[in-house]
Parts: sequence; structure tokens; C-alpha cells
Amino acid sequence: MSAKYKTKKILIKRRYQLLALILLILAGGLVLIPKHDKHEGIKPELFVKNILSNERYISTDILAERMISQDPSLILIDTRSAEAYQEFSLPDAVNIPLDKVFDENLNAYLNQDVYDIVLFSNDHFLADEVWMMGNRMGYQRLYVLQGGLNEWFKTIIHPKYPSQTMSQDAFDLYSFRMAAGRYFGVANDTLEIKQKVIRKAKPKKVVTQPKKKKKAPEGGC
Amino acid sequence: MGPIIPNELISVEWNFVIAILIGMAFGFILESSGFSSSRKLAGVFYGYDFAVLKVFLTACIVALIGLFYMDYLNWIDMSQLYIQPLYLYGAIIGGIIMGVGFLAGGFCPGTSLCAVAIGKIDGIVYTAGLFIGILIFSEMFSFLEPLFEKSNMGHVTMDETLNVSPYWIILIFTVLALLAFFVSDIIRKRVKKVFY
Repeated sequence: MSAKYKTKKILIKRRYQLLALILLILAGGLVLIPKHDKHEGIKPELFVKNILSNERYISTDILAERMISQDPSLILIDTRSAEAYQEFSLPDAVNIPLDKVFDENLNAYLNQDVYDIVLFSNDHFLADEVWMMGNRMGYQRLYVLQGGLNEWFKTIIHPKYPSQTMSQDAFDLYSFRMAAGRYFGVANDTLEIKQKVIRKAKPKKVVTQPKKKKKAPEGGC
Repeated sequence: MGPIIPNELISVEWNFVIAILIGMAFGFILESSGFSSSRKLAGVFYGYDFAVLKVFLTACIVALIGLFYMDYLNWIDMSQLYIQPLYLYGAIIGGIIMGVGFLAGGFCPGTSLCAVAIGKIDGIVYTAGLFIGILIFSEMFSFLEPLFEKSNMGHVTMDETLNVSPYWIILIFTVLALLAFFVSDIIRKRVKKVFY
């Protein structure tokens, strides 16, 4: 074995040892480097953009329509406290209060991409908070009932009769809301009758104005 | 930032173009490293050539360490990477069949295609056998399916299963790989040299 061959062999061996050492240092470095909390969910810029957008809101009329048509892709989430939920809630709604959003059993309702999740609270602010938490984590298909239950009462349970000067669309919407109210078990027939009575054209109040008496010609030429 | 396609840094159509380019580069390097020779590949079982073990383990460690450094620097999101589901019994039985096939034929599926590309007859015969095997497996799939489905453990990883930091697993894996290189060198020196 020549000296040149021997040197070459030693050099190759050294090179492999060096490469093995580099791999070991790099692997050890991963264990030793200080750990930091990683950013989870969507990027902050996108989150801000989503907050500023109103696309998350769904109106009570659209929700009522989807509920009446028994849309299978719809899930309602009541974000109020358990006590408030027991007292009253929308039909088939699931109760997930703000502090239980990341609860192992309940989180599966929010973290999915199959159903349209409609969040609601008394107004829409509490539901908005839950939406923000979900959106921040990158959950899909979350919506908020605009105006919450207050708006639901105002529009579906006790709809306001449109004034005479309003368009036909307003009257159609009123009819829809009355029908929707009946679907949800509200006995609002009396209300309609009352409204109908009001709708009756009021007899025009004839304001009699005293006719100006013709003045007797006075004098003249 | 990464992975680049799920994060829409480049369009999804590039997926196939990149896959073809990487595949060509991979095939070229395999062939130029002598991995289209069944004698070299089978050497790992007979103890006269451990190039296969060294190359694939090194590639594995480099990719592993590299990915985790990139994850640490937020260059890539590891949670977005696809994890192959674990079919436990399927993996064990498939591993045994693959091992026997590798030892008997002297190729693994990738290197057999390399051998076909340079016109090696043993490679062509091996690949024909590979396709016959795929056909038999496909025809028997409805019969074999329960074996797979029952042992589907989902997208599991070692760090989650053992509840150990992935960084420690990487370190242990690297040490074991280096140890394997060292031991394989000792075995190679003791085994009679084969020239091919």
C-alpha cells in the first residue's frame, strides 16, 4: 500500500468523521436552541382584514329561511351562558359559551369545514368574540347572526308593520316574517288582525273649510 | 411561508412540474451513484457494501434536521405537511414482502426503474414482476381491505405517541444512524470483498 494511497484513505476517513460531527452538532443544536411559542392560526394581516369585513354577518331573515327549509348544512351555536341558554334559545341550537370555545368536546363543532356555523348571542357582540377566536385559529364557515336574539325578536317574533308609504318589498318581507313567526310557534295572528285593522283606510277626515262668502259687491262704479 | 403550494406562493399546476423535475434529479443521482446495480443494492444484506444504508439514512437525517430548522425559523409550517397514515399490520406485512423482494431481486421499486432506464435486463424483469404484484394486490384488495382498515392508526407521529419532544427524537435518530454507519463499516471490513 503506497504512502499516497494511505494518506488519501485517512483524508477520506477524516472527511466522513467531520460530516458525521456536523450532523451530530446540528441535531444537538435543535435540542439546545431556545424554544419559542409558534404563531398559530391565520396571519395577523388576514385576521384584521376578516374583522373589518362584514361578510361574517347573516341576517335574521336569511337564517329564518334556512331554518324553515331545514337546511342540513346549518348548525346554530348559542354563545351565551348556560343559564341564559336554558331559559330560551333558538331551536336545535348548541350551547358553547365563550369560556368553552376550546373545550375538547365542544371545539369539534367550531373547528370543521362541513357545516355553516351560525353564532348568536343576545346582541352580536358576544358571538363576534367567539367568531374572532375561531377565525384567528383558522376555523372555516363561521357566521354571526347580526343583531343576535334581540334582532330575532324584533324581526321574526314581533315584526313591525311597514308604513303605508313603504314599497311592496317591505310588505312581502313583513308577510314572510309573520309566516316565519308562526312557523316558530308564535301566535301572532291577533297581531296581524290588529295590524290589518290599522291597515284599513282611515276615513278621510274632511276638513271643512268655510267657504268664503262672496262678498256682496260693494259700491263700484 | 412554506410549504409553497398550499400557501399559494406558486400555483398548484407547478406541483406536477416540480414533481417531474425532482423525480428526474432523483433518478439521475440514483443512477450515477451506482444504485441501478442490483449487486450494490443487495450488498447491504450480505455485508460487502453498505452504500444504500448510508445514503438513505443520511438523506433522511439531512432532510429531517433541515426541515426542523426551517420550521424553527418559520420558513415552513410543519403542521401543513402531509403525514402518511399508519396501517400497522399492512406496514408490517408489506415491509416483510418488500424486504424479501428486495433481497431476492436486488432492487427496490425506485432503483428498479433506474435500472430499466439504462436497459438492464434484470431491472426489466424485476419491474414486470412489480407490476404483476400490483395487479394481484389490486384484484385482491377487497379481500385484503379489512386487514388495512382495522389497523389504521391515522396520521400518528412518534413524538405525539411517545409524548417526547421531536428534537430529542431527531438527536437519538442521528446518533443511531451514525452508530449504524460505524458498525456497518466494521462489518464490511470483516466480510470478504466482492468486486463488481
